Amino acid sequence: MRRIGTWIAAGGLLLSIAACGGGGGSETAGGEQQAPQAQTLSVGFVAEPANLDFTSTEGAAIPQALLVNVYEGLVKLDQDGKIVPLLAEKWEVSDDLKTYTFTLRPDVKFTNGAAFTADDVVFSFERLKSDWKLKITSQLDVVEKVEKKDDATAVVTLSKPSNSFLYTIATRLGAMFSRTGVSDLANTPVGTGPYKLGEWRRGDHIRLDSNDGYWGTKPQIGSVTLKYFKDATAMNNALLTGGIDVISAVQAPESLQQFADPNRFETIEGTTNGEVVLSMNNGRPPFDDKKVRQAVRHAIDHRALLDTAWAGRGQLIGSMVPPTDPWYEDRTGDYPYDVAKAKELLGGKTYDVKMRIPNLPYAVASAQVVKSQLAQVGINAEIEPLEFPARWLDSVFTKADYDLSIINHVEPRDIRIFADKSYYFRYDNPEFGKLLAAADEGTEQEQTDNYKAAAKLLSEDAAADFLFGFPNLIVAKKGVTGLPKNAISESFDFTGLAKQ
Amino acid sequence: MKGRLNASLVSGAVLVGLVVAMALVSFVWTPHDPVLVDAGNKLHGPGDGYLLGADKFGRDTFSQLMVGARTTLYVGIVAVGIAALIGTPLGVIAGMTRWRWLSELVMRANDLVFAFPALLLAVMLGAVYGAGTLTAMIAIGVATVPAFARVARAATMQVMVTDYILAARAAGRRRLPVAFRHVLPNIGSMLIVQASVSFAIAILAEAALSFLGFGTRPPTPSWGRMLQESQELLFSTPRLALWPGLAIALAVLGFNLLGDGLRDYLDPKLRRIRAER
Repeated sequence: MRRIGTWIAAGGLLLSIAACGGGGGSETAGGEQQAPQAQTLSVGFVAEPANLDFTSTEGAAIPQALLVNVYEGLVKLDQDGKIVPLLAEKWEVSDDLKTYTFTLRPDVKFTNGAAFTADDVVFSFERLKSDWKLKITSQLDVVEKVEKKDDATAVVTLSKPSNSFLYTIATRLGAMFSRTGVSDLANTPVGTGPYKLGEWRRGDHIRLDSNDGYWGTKPQIGSVTLKYFKDATAMNNALLTGGIDVISAVQAPESLQQFADPNRFETIEGTTNGEVVLSMNNGRPPFDDKKVRQAVRHAIDHRALLDTAWAGRGQLIGSMVPPTDPWYEDRTGDYPYDVAKAKELLGGKTYDVKMRIPNLPYAVASAQVVKSQLAQVGINAEIEPLEFPARWLDSVFTKADYDLSIINHVEPRDIRIFADKSYYFRYDNPEFGKLLAAADEGTEQEQTDNYKAAAKLLSEDAAADFLFGFPNLIVAKKGVTGLPKNAISESFDFTGLAKQ
Repeated sequence: MKGRLNASLVSGAVLVGLVVAMALVSFVWTPHDPVLVDAGNKLHGPGDGYLLGADKFGRDTFSQLMVGARTTLYVGIVAVGIAALIGTPLGVIAGMTRWRWLSELVMRANDLVFAFPALLLAVMLGAVYGAGTLTAMIAIGVATVPAFARVARAATMQVMVTDYILAARAAGRRRLPVAFRHVLPNIGSMLIVQASVSFAIAILAEAALSFLGFGTRPPTPSWGRMLQESQELLFSTPRLALWPGLAIALAVLGFNLLGDGLRDYLDPKLRRIRAER
């Protein structure tokens, strides 16, 4: 017993070192310079898809690999969050904002050889109701009917004007399927994209090969390998040892220091749709009092929080809008860091509150800073990390049994969740709901204006505190270009990649 | 004076004494507030008022180590206390009883608990009742019960056949007084040794649990969580992992040496062997 104990003691010292072991390299590297079409590139990811069918299986990993690369929609999101044409050359919107007429690109073929026509558009929209098994299809409930005018023209009619329609069909919901290519989506995706599935070795990698019959500019990289790792450290090691060319998303910002050598690596920092929110339970004391919530917003030094908790990576936002949304405004000035003001708002009272957070790295790190800063104005927050997702979802998200919490809200354009007063924020301001409704039904300009007003209202009401916009951190070997800087769509877009 | 001091005992006592001293001093004084986040001193190097430097939150490592020692001892004492208070009576009963089936029942139940890893138990309790120091202490304590029960039973069975027990029994003493007046004092030394070894294991278990996020809640300093927080900085600032790692290793080593030394010190048989040499 004693011997074992002593050995375990030595193990304690090695506990941290063990975490950086493992990993190992892989043999997928590109080899010598080859003709452009035969160039290969491998990209590391942490979550592998369960299967390749995003119409029946949840999970971000599937559209991340396939959307835009293998499947294409009528439109797509560019790096600035703008909607640009893809399979539709152009579209016209009727004056009542309810009818969208899409002119389709000619000469587009699916990888099974079938031509892409308006029949496939009708087919793909109908599949949403008949074959898709995901709840998110309700986002397209606004679509009343989809008709074929001729082979190159499809007409979509909405039941009411909706500005989010085009945005929604830029996600996986708008992916176009072939009428003759949906028999085995889980293993054999058939799309119109620049890549087709080359090989899938489960538990290790997916290889995408360029689609020779692609209608547009053929990608420079002939073959992209998506290499899946069980943990982030193994992925970091793979890049260090040359097993992969790109880390798709760095999991811990402090680990970027390993890739500091500018002669070997390049770090790309962009934004995501994620807002790290300090949620306050508006439905019960003490945070049902707007003054207390405002005090919290004044009490937090957001710059210091970002610098310590997340190595300064990310962007301060001030409201529930990421910088790539068209209605983004910097709202960090609404509640500047001001301890005296916070104390004044609290009126000398002190509070004991529970901060129930998910046991995720960014949340645990941010919570310690928030606790320390709130303590200075007289709010004593007890941190309680809950197992994520099950326990946190159950007690905080579902039952709203919390005072404070911290979570990264990753869904795109998710400011609308504040309009639902049963949502765990328990925020209830009818004015906010009206602004959102007006935004979705008005013109594009009205949409932008109303969303801006809604973001301002949220910030002023101190419905929550918005700690920072979650960064997108990519590390690549020097010479790899065309990486998608901002992770704002569901896909990791390989189409612009190049390697010197 | 029962025996002679030996090297294990002295070095063990010194290491344990160091940990205890750190913990006690931390109640009245630490160089800095161990939980105050100070962005200005982020990753402050050693020196300049920061003896061992500061972590990424600008918190003084040495202050955290001191308060972490408190957490460590607290968990160890309570966990070992639970184990001793439950395990010892069970073992003594199993060792003294006339009914063979009772002894078997106790020991087989022990085997059952023994088969269950302490960490797994703690993670399970943490998932159900919420992770925290209390659940960690209870889980580690419960998982250590069999160790005490076994030692207590074996020792009790040894003393049950000695002349003084037989004499007491012949004089008509009942079992309970015999257990308290004769058995417990005579198996005490073995239990102390066991406690010391279990203490080392409890420290390690707490560190592992905190490392995994199932132990002491942030921001209360804990050596295990300090390790975990320094993990991502391992390449750039290895000292952040070095100090808590060293603290855990030395504390565990200290309690193991102490247990080892105490056994030699207290065990009459070993003493006799030494005397004959």
